[in-house]
Amino acid sequence: MASLDDPGEVREGFLCPLCLKNLQSFYQLQSHYEEEHSGEDRDVKGQIKSLVQKAKKAKNRLLKREGDDRVESGTQGYESFSYGGVDPYMWEPQELGAVRSHLSDFKKHRAARIDHYVVEVNKLIIRLEKLTAFDRTNTESAKIRAIEKSVVPWVNDQDVPFCPDCGNKFSIRNRRHHCRLCGSIMCKKCMELISLPFANKLTSASKDSLSTHTSPSQSPNSVHGSRRGSISSVSSVSSVLDEKDDDRIRCCTHCKDTLLKREQQIDEKEHTPDIVKLYEKLRLCMEKVDQKAPEYIKMAASLNAGETTYSLEHAGDLRVEVQKVYELIDALSKKILTLGLNQDPPPHPNTLRLQKMIRYSATLFVQEKLLGLMSLPTREQFEELKKKRKQEMERKRILERQAVLESQRRLEERRSDLASHAANGEVVSLRGGPAPLRKAEGWLPLSGSQGQSEDSDPLLQQIHNITSFIRQAKAAGRTDEVRTLQENLRQLQDEYDQQQTEKAIELSRRQAEEEDLQREQLQMLCEREWEREREQFRAVSLHTRTRSLDFREIRPFQLEPGREPRTHLACALDLGFSSVQSSTAVETPSPLSALEPVSVWSGPPALGQESFPQSTVLQQNELASLNPFDEEDASSPTAEGTSSPPAAEPSFGPSARSLKEYNPFEEEEEAVAGNPFANPDSPAPNPFDEEDEHPHQRPSSPPVPGNPFEEATCTNPFEMDSDSGPEGEEPIEEELLLQQIDNIKAYIFDAKQCGRLDEVEVLTENLRELKRTLAKQKGGTD
Amino acid sequence: MNVVFAVKQYISKMIEDSGPGMKVLLMDKETTGIVSMVYTQSEILQKEVYLFERIDSQNREIMKHLKAICFLRPTKENVDYLIQELRRPKYSIYFIYFSNVISKSDVKSLAEADEQEVVAEVQEFYGDYIAVNPHLFSLNILGCCQGRNWDPVQLSRTTQGLTALLLSLKKCPMIRYQLSSEAAKRLAECVKQVITKEYELFEFRRTEVPPLLLILDRCDDAITPLLNQWTYQAMVHELLGINNNRIDLSRVPGISKDLREVVLSAENDEFYANNMYLNFAEIGSNIKNLMEDFQKKKPKEQQKLESIADMKNVKRLLQNPKVTEFDAARLVMLYALHYERHSSNSLPGLMMDLRNKGVSEKYRKLVSAVVEYGGKRVRGSDLFSPKDAVAITKQFLKGLKGVENVYTQHQPFLHETLDHLIKGKLKENLYPYLGPSTLRDRPQDIIVFIIGGATYEEALTVYNLNRTTPGVRIVLGGTTVHNTKSFLEEVLASGLHSRSKESSQVTSKPASRR
Repeated sequence: MASLDDPGEVREGFLCPLCLKNLQSFYQLQSHYEEEHSGEDRDVKGQIKSLVQKAKKAKNRLLKREGDDRVESGTQGYESFSYGGVDPYMWEPQELGAVRSHLSDFKKHRAARIDHYVVEVNKLIIRLEKLTAFDRTNTESAKIRAIEKSVVPWVNDQDVPFCPDCGNKFSIRNRRHHCRLCGSIMCKKCMELISLPFANKLTSASKDSLSTHTSPSQSPNSVHGSRRGSISSVSSVSSVLDEKDDDRIRCCTHCKDTLLKREQQIDEKEHTPDIVKLYEKLRLCMEKVDQKAPEYIKMAASLNAGETTYSLEHAGDLRVEVQKVYELIDALSKKILTLGLNQDPPPHPNTLRLQKMIRYSATLFVQEKLLGLMSLPTREQFEELKKKRKQEMERKRILERQAVLESQRRLEERRSDLASHAANGEVVSLRGGPAPLRKAEGWLPLSGSQGQSEDSDPLLQQIHNITSFIRQAKAAGRTDEVRTLQENLRQLQDEYDQQQTEKAIELSRRQAEEEDLQREQLQMLCEREWEREREQFRAVSLHTRTRSLDFREIRPFQLEPGREPRTHLACALDLGFSSVQSSTAVETPSPLSALEPVSVWSGPPALGQESFPQSTVLQQNELASLNPFDEEDASSPTAEGTSSPPAAEPSFGPSARSLKEYNPFEEEEEAVAGNPFANPDSPAPNPFDEEDEHPHQRPSSPPVPGNPFEEATCTNPFEMDSDSGPEGEEPIEEELLLQQIDNIKAYIFDAKQCGRLDEVEVLTENLRELKRTLAKQKGGTD
Repeated sequence: MNVVFAVKQYISKMIEDSGPGMKVLLMDKETTGIVSMVYTQSEILQKEVYLFERIDSQNREIMKHLKAICFLRPTKENVDYLIQELRRPKYSIYFIYFSNVISKSDVKSLAEADEQEVVAEVQEFYGDYIAVNPHLFSLNILGCCQGRNWDPVQLSRTTQGLTALLLSLKKCPMIRYQLSSEAAKRLAECVKQVITKEYELFEFRRTEVPPLLLILDRCDDAITPLLNQWTYQAMVHELLGINNNRIDLSRVPGISKDLREVVLSAENDEFYANNMYLNFAEIGSNIKNLMEDFQKKKPKEQQKLESIADMKNVKRLLQNPKVTEFDAARLVMLYALHYERHSSNSLPGLMMDLRNKGVSEKYRKLVSAVVEYGGKRVRGSDLFSPKDAVAITKQFLKGLKGVENVYTQHQPFLHETLDHLIKGKLKENLYPYLGPSTLRDRPQDIIVFIIGGATYEEALTVYNLNRTTPGVRIVLGGTTVHNTKSFLEEVLASGLHSRSKESSQVTSKPASRR
């Protein structure tokens, strides 16, 4: 919002506070100020005041405009909402709301309870230890009983007429049993038994928590441990069947329960499920991507611009590395997805849901990050780019020089113009005045070394000139002339203010439009990507594990190497003529036209040969239409005066088109775009191009009737719900498969070298699968 | 003062605090709605929250490799569920967040259930309301009053919601309420009570001008929910019904599977965000299709309505067979509200017409119920100023006509109230302060709460006020967000229709209470 309200946004840098001239550096500004304005201190206040007024005016205008917009037209309605006012979405950042913690209170209460609980458990464990300390199988029952009684005092039989758990009366048939751990009494039905291995496990765990445990699958009690619900029934049934329980310890349900809980805790401490291991690896990979990808993008952007800061090889290596991580993420998440699918009791639906969600989020992650992964130029292309960049710099220099010349020429014209204009006024005596003076004092403020681009704004020049006239007139003591000149100056300044304001409005408007456009394009890109992913998934995921994600380069269109040099040029243009842009472009011969003959650049050849017509607007329009990449930059100068929508539309057209054409082969196309004369059919030397697939191509190839490649694992979480039938499946081209196999072999080799054995494992699996697919396909097509 | 952001921040903080690793979010029915308003699934997935479970769901598996984040309302049932959960923990570690104040005794019983020491955090995070838009919140309560008085359960829920809102925005406000409404007064007192009791919580950095909480009653403006609302958001709500930013399209025949339920969220839907407040004319071409659909729905009556200039012609209109039962009833309701005191009130005649037209008993009863609900007798202020009356009438009739006319002619009464409030002109005899202290300056941060539900049209009003008055920030809330249908249900639920017979007599004779 601030940027729109403030015209200062439009012009920034080392602006002279009085004449708003843009100076290149602080020193230049200082010297400029000293030279130009040292004499007019008194005016400073007024000038600054006018600046403030200007800002206010711009703001009012914007506000008014907003109102108008809303009333007058429906189509612009929704843009108008991005101007002015305070949208609740834009309220200043707020801190986290109030919170209150009960943790210390909670812990206090828990601690009291836990102490009690822990003591209970420990007591039981200690007793259990005592009960199992001797060789039970080879000791007489009477002796065992004596030892057992010494561990814990048994409750008197007479005190307990009914079983405390089930309430049945004790009798000769329903005899009393004592819990060996707490000494209480229960009936046979309510009695539990503790096997020796189970007891050992508990006691040894508490003795030495560091000692490694047998994994639960080997432990005889694992069934009990993991299915607590069934334990009591299992053991009571077994106790009925088996009267001899010398090697087991009788206890009540309460003690057993406590011990089971304890066991579960021990198990959990020891056991990490597969999903956790895989998930941890997955997260590591994601972190790696977050770390490496930005690094790579920086390199690639620089290389694609033809810079030589980074080496191509290094970037290529990094690219391979990042891609490998993506591959790994994909493989890992797929493995998580299919975990336990073949187990006999199928996993709980929640487990499956968890796995699906992890896979989904990994897919989202890869999609999102891959979008930013641009391609590298090939070696030849890089050379080309480097050359181009050099030319670019050269051209820029020429351009600047020409701009200077141009502005000088124009200045000359204007001055004479002005002189004659002034002469037409009431003050005839001035006619002779300025010209000789100018020559004598040499105060040509704008023609000299500071012939900056900004000065080409005719209004500003006039203002300058008049100020200097005033100075001269003052020096000459002609007060009436001074008055009229000052009147002139005021008018000019007003006009300039208005112009600036319009410019500000225009700019803000354009910004909003551009934003919209970008948003649209981005959305489109996303949608496209999404669609393609889906297609890819459908067709590929069933064939191979590795291939379901497509490591194709997706580049934000601004960064395409093909357009890069041109945007540079456009920048150069912008730099040189930023103020001409919004001033009277029609009135003055455009710098662009002056440029035309020099340009070697890659626009359509017809353009380069065209002699430049005087009406620049026409020329620029033509340029815009002929050169789809330049449209934004080219249209901005012309967009002045006319409201932006028409300017935005053409710019949208081509880019939308280019998006539509977007397909996996785009990489080639784009690479070619950088070099218009290259043969588009030549295979790209970049090894990763080969991974690209052509979604449009697949449907055209004949569907295989029998679906010979059908696999049980459908890997796309979104497909699972909708159609699980592998209808979209078509054979992958053999060549692609072979390439893929080669790639994976290379990865494996690399992984082996670096000693990442887990990766090797995953990759080998992929390789195997690929080979199988290949073999099958060969069999199928024959 | 952004309520969506406030809740979102709470949720983000919870997730953040639980550290890395796979997580499950344990919620109850209400908090599920609260969370879903501020976070999308893909957004929350990126924060490693992979599962969403209800605390009351029985079919949950033991997954010790997951961390559990519990976000629950501090109700008795939830505490019980949580106690059971802690006795037999299904997840490795628990981060517990209550959406409101929880009692010390509940904390104690929870602590005693945590024998396995799985709880790592117990906090109160006051996200206890549905954040619809940045400046609009709801409590999703339909039928908050019995007659003119609060349903006690809903009063306590509303108090909780409102105090939670204040806490989440860190505001300790002065309170004003609508004098004519007993319910407003009750609520104001309850909120005040909580603030006094939990004074430690409400100790925030003092702002120059203290924030203001204004409590209103729907019965002060029964017109707005009866009129067609013409913004996109309001239209969608009127025609399709929005619940928690979700539109249920499952009743639409032949709708595809993935469109059964559409989420409308300004956070994630650019189009919606840009258009939700625009009225239909402005959206124009953007949304031709929906408009066409709408036109199909009521094409004939619009043409007929065009020629009508005066509400008196309602009679003729009612005889028009093309006007639907529902709209006819609505017309008569508006008429009744408007001409309640008029000497030549012909309401009984109109009621006869309704009967002749075959409008069902239910709707006919509603007419008197609405008058009872929002009639002059209960209104604290003049809803229809003389000039207004004609304007509203005209507007309503025009409103039915079609796309190209000016929709937002009707300003909800709330606009005037807020306008006065902002300018410091709101009368203290109609909207008194609770307690002795009053606001000397013009208010800056304002929270308006409407008992009986707000409307999207009022949300638009507040949105526009926010935009046009710099320095003033207004948040609107209601027990729910109404469309006409839900409003009539609200009226129905308040039980006023039971006295329908007397009420028609009441309206015809000039009763004066003010």
